[in-house]
Amino acid sequence: MSRKATISAREFESEALSQLSALLGVASRLTRNTADAQDLVQDSLLKAMRARDQFEAGTNMRAWLLRILTNTFINRYRRGGLERSVLDGPDADPLADGWISASTMEAMRDPESQALRPMLEQEIKRALDELPEEFRLAVVLSDVEELSYKEIADIMGCPIGTVMSRLHRGRRLLKGRLYEHARAIGIVGPEEHVGDTSEKPDPVVDLASYREKRVARS
Amino acid sequence: MTSSCRQTVPLLEAFSDEELAPDMLLEVEQHLVDCATCTERVRLNQALRVSMRNAVRNSAPVMPGFEERIAATLRAEAAREEAIDGVVEREARHHHMLSWRSVVPVAAAAALTLVWAASTSTHPTAGQNAYSQAQNADELLEELVDHHMKALGPQVTEPALLSQLEPEVGVPLSLPSLKDYGARWEGGSVVPVSNQHAASLRYMMGGHRVTLYVYNSSRVPIETRLKPRVVRNEPVYVGSRRGVSIAATEHRGVGYAVATDLNADESAELVAAVY
Repeated sequence: MSRKATISAREFESEALSQLSALLGVASRLTRNTADAQDLVQDSLLKAMRARDQFEAGTNMRAWLLRILTNTFINRYRRGGLERSVLDGPDADPLADGWISASTMEAMRDPESQALRPMLEQEIKRALDELPEEFRLAVVLSDVEELSYKEIADIMGCPIGTVMSRLHRGRRLLKGRLYEHARAIGIVGPEEHVGDTSEKPDPVVDLASYREKRVARS
Repeated sequence: MTSSCRQTVPLLEAFSDEELAPDMLLEVEQHLVDCATCTERVRLNQALRVSMRNAVRNSAPVMPGFEERIAATLRAEAAREEAIDGVVEREARHHHMLSWRSVVPVAAAAALTLVWAASTSTHPTAGQNAYSQAQNADELLEELVDHHMKALGPQVTEPALLSQLEPEVGVPLSLPSLKDYGARWEGGSVVPVSNQHAASLRYMMGGHRVTLYVYNSSRVPIETRLKPRVVRNEPVYVGSRRGVSIAATEHRGVGYAVATDLNADESAELVAAVY
């Protein structure tokens, strides 16, 4: 085995250290625990170092490291695969996003920054941690790490269509949870039914009902 | 929700993710010009993304010391790789040596320098002899590296008690302090090398392990596979095995060799300072 085409140990170290923050972010959301996240990053980087001759020069190093990190997580904590969602099957209602009005959506955003209202932003981490793993990972890889659908599909070992579906469901659960929180703290009022009255809200739009379903299933 | 919204809403996420095919992109952009609700949907997606990024990045900062921990892990792995490469290289050299053995035995013998030749009667005069000597020295270096890599518990941790090891080693033992180099002594023990015994004195120097061997130089012909150089007017012999650099010298019949993961210059400097 020749290491000539492979990046040197020193180059790898410098690349890996520059990705530490990103790796730790994803690891923390996967493990939901700082010490485990640090161990996961360390194990993953060691594996990556040993396998660095498999890295294709010119491709996205961060995506490659995240793939190893995800696999390491699955092998160590989840024998056989990520925690699955009970919401299997095709999307019941692709128009479910229609349940929330423009004024409510506007009220959830911060007029100054491009972000959500600070009071909602605080809730995001908790909402994220409560998502099923496969949704959570897809959402973090897309929204935080800004990876493409193709890169996420490679990391998660699934087709691009599945990535889109996981992203959609994960974000919908998040939005539902944030909307509930916004209602609870009085940022938004009760939703008037908007648009087409024949539309029904998503039957599983918040985590509480998702959990009930899940409990009922198990 | 208009019928146009019905067609557009399922595309909005891919639109926000910049994953939409160009023809659909145009369609969605056209719709957004006219539809305040869908525009608001896109803004909410964007706000969710920005807030999520903030939340995840703030929730898992790189703690002080973590970067150093990872760097140390990767460097240890690099050293291990080098060590493996070193073995491969050494084996390759062995083969190389065999093919040259009958061709230039005298040249090989001339290239081998013996620091303690005067104290031994085994000065090699024939290529065959030099080769077997070199082979012995090779095994010897391997042993020194092996002992260095193993973190064996010390037999003695009090400098005053070092003399207890003298009967086995067969030379007087006193502790070189190496304090000027920031080295801290951790303990000493006796290790078998080349059918003899050497004292192994273990130091830590700024995170590097340093093993200093002290032995009867007339019985341990280490230098035949090392390269000579002069440090502070003293002859020192240096080389490396499996990522470990080794430097040896001799003083009044006592041999000193250091094994470290420092570079050859630093090891040579250290060994020249031990007596």
